[in-house]
Amino acid sequence: MENNSGIFTRIQETPENLKTVAKKKLNQPGWRFGHITARVTEAGSFVVETLLLNTREGKGLVIESLLPENNPEYPSLTPDIPAAHRAERALGDFFGITAKDHPHWHTLILSSDAWEPDLTPLSPTCRGKREPFLFTNVTGEGVHEIPVGPIHAGIIEPGHFRFSCAGEIITHMDIRLGYQHRGVEKRLTEINWQNTRFTAESNSSDTAAGNALAHSIAIEQIADINPPERAQYLRTISLELERLANHIGDMGALSGDIGFSAGAALFSQNRGYVLGMAQLLTGKRTQRYYIKPGGVSRDADSSTLKKLAENCIILKKTMKEHIPLVLENSAVIERMENTGILSQRMAKDFGIVGPAGRASGSGYDARTVFPHGVFPEYAPAPAFYKTGDVLSRAKVKADEIFSSIEIIEKIIANIPAGEYELKNLPSNLRPESYGIGITEAWRGELIHWITTDSKGKISRYSIKDPSFNNWTGLGIAVRGNLVADFPLCNKSFNLSYSGSDL
Amino acid sequence: MNFPLLSIIRNGIATQKQAFPNLPDEAEGLPGFSKTDCNPGECGKCAALCPAKAISCDQNEVKIDRGLCIGCSICFKSCPSGVIINDRSTTTAVFKREDLIISNKTPVITPAKPLKMPFRKSLHVREVSTGDNITDFEAVAASNPVFDMARYGIQVTASPRFADALLVTGPVGKAMQEPLRRCREAMAEPAIVIAAGTSAISGGLFAGGYAEANGVDSILPVSCYIPGDPPHPWSIIYGILLAMGRISKAD
Repeated sequence: MENNSGIFTRIQETPENLKTVAKKKLNQPGWRFGHITARVTEAGSFVVETLLLNTREGKGLVIESLLPENNPEYPSLTPDIPAAHRAERALGDFFGITAKDHPHWHTLILSSDAWEPDLTPLSPTCRGKREPFLFTNVTGEGVHEIPVGPIHAGIIEPGHFRFSCAGEIITHMDIRLGYQHRGVEKRLTEINWQNTRFTAESNSSDTAAGNALAHSIAIEQIADINPPERAQYLRTISLELERLANHIGDMGALSGDIGFSAGAALFSQNRGYVLGMAQLLTGKRTQRYYIKPGGVSRDADSSTLKKLAENCIILKKTMKEHIPLVLENSAVIERMENTGILSQRMAKDFGIVGPAGRASGSGYDARTVFPHGVFPEYAPAPAFYKTGDVLSRAKVKADEIFSSIEIIEKIIANIPAGEYELKNLPSNLRPESYGIGITEAWRGELIHWITTDSKGKISRYSIKDPSFNNWTGLGIAVRGNLVADFPLCNKSFNLSYSGSDL
Repeated sequence: MNFPLLSIIRNGIATQKQAFPNLPDEAEGLPGFSKTDCNPGECGKCAALCPAKAISCDQNEVKIDRGLCIGCSICFKSCPSGVIINDRSTTTAVFKREDLIISNKTPVITPAKPLKMPFRKSLHVREVSTGDNITDFEAVAASNPVFDMARYGIQVTASPRFADALLVTGPVGKAMQEPLRRCREAMAEPAIVIAAGTSAISGGLFAGGYAEANGVDSILPVSCYIPGDPPHPWSIIYGILLAMGRISKAD
């Protein structure tokens, strides 16, 4: 397996040693758990691959463990590295690989009764039945359960939550997802690589720019191509516009969830303003299909860039007026402060990424370490709060709104002339290679991990959406809060259901 | 000091006055046809390039299935004869699935209205997301102050029990089929189902997989289809009004 990016090294380790080696690496400063996934070799055996990331030097380590053919199981990482707990359960669902001694071993994604009990979509052979989904049974005097979903009251995605409450206080929440599972990872290995970008974006299509950028980086590593410099600048504007639009939308939604209609109305309109800027640059409000391997799909002429720069000035002025309406409003602070606290320790253990992680003292922003677009050159200082409550998550988003506007202004001022795409892409990818694209999408670190087989065909496509780990963070943050504050906690994380379900 | 009211007054009225305007010049909409002629039997470039296999070319006819189109704009950007053009209209919803298939040969046929159109004045909509969150975002945008679908009498309700219409977004994978069916059963009759977005209409890029995510009409009868991936908020409002029978030809 090759990768010429100079970022990743690859080592082999036996399944028995995997846990010790990974744990040892993670004890060194700067290392964090990235992802764990598996693939099937051409000979038909399973390989578990663990990605660890060095967030100080911008390096990655892939640990490859070949499982014995007759017995596809390995000692679970979760007891030592809790951040792996969901990814390992997903391996059980998709490949039928067992993580021995996993403390919470049951199905994660294929949890619905509609699926055949022995379905393992990514494994060539059937591996027996899955462990059925189990809700945690909380007992005690006066403890009652509130089931919610899969279809919710607002315009949001489906997922089932089960609250165990003592009176009005949530003592525990079980999150059962998988309702939107639509076979993205399998589909991505069935089509030719030129068409994968469309499906890769649909992983969580509200993060179109982030997904497309991670996909493009991974493909570019495998195909050994470098997009023109102008394309990198345009890609970054697109990524930052997406962050702006969604963070601004979140400020409105948070206001709406606490009944502050003025904020909800003003910010949804401001979000529309940013979507208009995105449409100016990419042709679509949602920026779909703009970023592609080798560049972007259309150029921005000087009048477009000038208009974008003017819009940035207006937006900055509006934000300076509107954000204090929410974050300096005593009625709003009263609801947000000390609500939904995710402690620094929990955030670190469960690998919480993005604004939620930065609100709980993580300080990790993939923009400052991993190259994507014009980052890390133009990376902002990561927003940093320690309390981990709804208010600090809102403050992280507010800080990032301003830093994103600044980044866009800087980029427009410095954008070089030249081509916006590579004209002739290779028709085949390099065989026996892998590419890992890491971007800081608006929800946080997003990983697209592509592996090719001996013919250069994509044999495995694994996606780690930022929401994937953050769902655990939400489950922890709501404990001890009022049931009525759940929407507020949920919105402050604003996680993607479809990105987690794939 | 904090004066939200002042900001609101200074902000003025945000609502767009003109209903269903065309998208601005810089925007990319769905593919449409110009009046020019081409030789699809020899060229066939669009059909070869389309990632969603929405275009078919035979000897003298080009057909585009908007129910499969993901709106990537590759076809009209690369059409050598200028037959396929960027259609920036937001009045794209139709009653029948087959009306989404447009051709460069057949003149535009105005589709007949269905006989049963029980809602004229107002409509309570329950939105069910089944796997494509971007259409949800545009559905949220349709009820914001800029597009403000409440002014047409369209309300989003919290429960299917109060709803007259289901607005389904997403391809409906296997795990979501039963909840969707039960949601429809919970509604009082008469009720209608609207499919918004390419993945809801046909399953889009996910169709044909093991998850059986092949669109809404494999599960429930659909009264109105809104193409686009995602459809613009104006397209969504147009589609809902069309399903209500509030759109006359003059609109």
